[in-house]
Amino acid sequence: MVISPVHYIAVPLLAAFLIPLLSKFIHKELARIVPGIVFLYSIFISITLMLQIGDKGIISEVIAGWQAPWGINLVFSPFSGFLASLMSIIGFLIWLYSYNFKKIDKEQSQKYHILQMMMVTGAIGIVLTGDIFNLFVFMEITAITAYSLTSFYRERDGAEAGFKYLLIGSFASVLILLAIMILYTQLGTLNMAEIAQKSHLIPTSLKTTIIVLFLVGFGIEAEMFPLNGWAPDAYSQSPGPIGAAFAGIVVKAGVYALVRVIFTLFDIHGAYDFLIYGGLITMIIAETSALAQTNLKRMLAYSSIGQMGFVLMAFGIGTHQAIVGALFLMFNHAIIKSLLFMSGSYLTYNSLTKQISALSGLGKKLPLVSILFGIGAFAIVGLPPFSGFWSKLYVLSAAADKNMLLLIMTILAVSIVEIIYYFRVVSTLYYGKQNPEIEIQKPSINAMVSMIALGITILVVGVYPDVITNLLENAATALTDKATYIQSVLTQNLPIN
Amino acid sequence: MRKVFVIILLILVGYFLTNTFSLITFGENRIGNTSEEKNVAAYYLNNTKEKTSVANVVTAIVVNYRGFDTLGEVTVLFLATTGLGSILFRRKEDEDQIERISKPSSSLVQTGSRILFPLIALLGIYVFIHGHLTPGGGFQGGAIIATGFLLMLISYKNFKAGHTMLIWVESLAGITFVTIGLWGLLTSGSFLENTLPGGELNNLISGGIIPIIYIAVGFKVAAELTGVLDILLNIKPKK
Repeated sequence: MVISPVHYIAVPLLAAFLIPLLSKFIHKELARIVPGIVFLYSIFISITLMLQIGDKGIISEVIAGWQAPWGINLVFSPFSGFLASLMSIIGFLIWLYSYNFKKIDKEQSQKYHILQMMMVTGAIGIVLTGDIFNLFVFMEITAITAYSLTSFYRERDGAEAGFKYLLIGSFASVLILLAIMILYTQLGTLNMAEIAQKSHLIPTSLKTTIIVLFLVGFGIEAEMFPLNGWAPDAYSQSPGPIGAAFAGIVVKAGVYALVRVIFTLFDIHGAYDFLIYGGLITMIIAETSALAQTNLKRMLAYSSIGQMGFVLMAFGIGTHQAIVGALFLMFNHAIIKSLLFMSGSYLTYNSLTKQISALSGLGKKLPLVSILFGIGAFAIVGLPPFSGFWSKLYVLSAAADKNMLLLIMTILAVSIVEIIYYFRVVSTLYYGKQNPEIEIQKPSINAMVSMIALGITILVVGVYPDVITNLLENAATALTDKATYIQSVLTQNLPIN
Repeated sequence: MRKVFVIILLILVGYFLTNTFSLITFGENRIGNTSEEKNVAAYYLNNTKEKTSVANVVTAIVVNYRGFDTLGEVTVLFLATTGLGSILFRRKEDEDQIERISKPSSSLVQTGSRILFPLIALLGIYVFIHGHLTPGGGFQGGAIIATGFLLMLISYKNFKAGHTMLIWVESLAGITFVTIGLWGLLTSGSFLENTLPGGELNNLISGGIIPIIYIAVGFKVAAELTGVLDILLNIKPKK
């Protein structure tokens, strides 16, 4: 069988439908093992396809034998391929981490693993699809799994967070669906390449409505201020690995959708400014709120929102270098924030309130986890020689090229705020008084492997950023090159008879 | 104060949305020039009969042209059931305390629902088997069958929808859908491609894989909705 992008979706779906039978009638353990095999296969597809497309190629695959715009198509370009590969790898590491995670095994671990696998699959689907309604369907898959995983521990607060997320998320879905509906009445097509080709035909008043609906809808998923009310609760109440999955996978898919709508579907420059201002406000408010948090997971959540604001702002600058920087930030945020959530959730394992003060003096009790958390903290604030440094440098120099001095000053000021609250945690970890009452939980070997893999990636990318920049450059070119995208989707577009 | 703010906001949003929708005239023919080569709607109307041998164009669009979306929707339902099960599942030790929340019903209702149940199930099966010929299809048929189960669940306190059976139906139907898709990928190079011969238009057995997929969807939707109802109707009473 030839490897093609649809394997990303079809194989996990088959596995998800098989797991209930396998675990009931063959062996219970299969429910936990099969998702890992599926993720490994996704990574294998990623490597094969990334090598296949080389520097510039785009794979456009049709589904059910109907050429675009009559059927649905999947587009594997350097941009979507990069994100899909990133999501597969993070998805695998999160699976590895949650395997044998004691708190999850106390509950319905079989269902957890199905839901976690499908959350990643939904996000990959969002990134790969070339059809706007199909994107909505995958967004639903991601959202439904995210709601139920938020309240997976079935505590009071978890239920509240899940319900809040459900309400806000459904609101977002309705807005996106409304936008798709109006778009369809105007153009009579759902194919993204064809919409991009024809979007200038829509009357301005309707176009504004469509764009506003899309921005608000996807803005909720991408944690843009003031639409991010769901995020801090959802991050802090969900199981530790799911916090990592929100930061590394779900939000990335939201940002992808936002960027795709602005850059490819409607190429309007007013939206770029909107991204800059939206991103900037998000960043300032989120980072100052993070400073006020005493709960570790909430602090990480606000920091995550702030980082996403930074990403949106970098996309808003709009130059090639800024987009490379934005993609680099997305990559860094995926690996670093996953590491922070993973190590953080072992550091606060037995603490009910997850207060930062509970970390006091754990640096000696859990040395390796603490070092990994420290690496994550140093990397996310952008200290050299960690990977976070390079992404910030890219964005700053892109802003400098455009003479956006105010922007640079804000980024630097916000970085100082970041340094303050991350260093506060690290110093509590190492210089705080040891509290003998705190029971620690030693991480399992597989969780350790997963965290160390992330830590090593941060160091390697920090020392040799060249390993990743080539991929990022290609991805950025693919995102801005609208003509090639349209052409490669619609060329074999003559009727097949 | 907050309520006033919310009301003003809602009025504003409502005003702008009605304004937008008034620009889209209702009932206008939107298909446009049917001879135009790239007109999607016209393509469906002109070509469905010859290319898929399906009498119901809507079904052809839902199951074949946009079959990938349908697979996604079925998955959404599956995940909703799984998620609900993970949040509301009952521990083994609580199993004997579980109660149906419905009130005991009279023998009139009980006898009536026993007569109605097979008829409702039959109607549901009819709707999804004829999905490619008449209005309706897998989702509608499945929902009809699930209402039959709902009737039984609320009229008999001890009626149990067999969990093992639900898992089997759900999984097998899902596997059928994906396997048909993968079969298309293997033999014709495109996921969910219609590989079977079309047959004669308007026959029960026509349209290749389309009726098979719709029957699988019907079973899956019926099993999943029944599962959801069963989870929601059985609770542990508060002490």
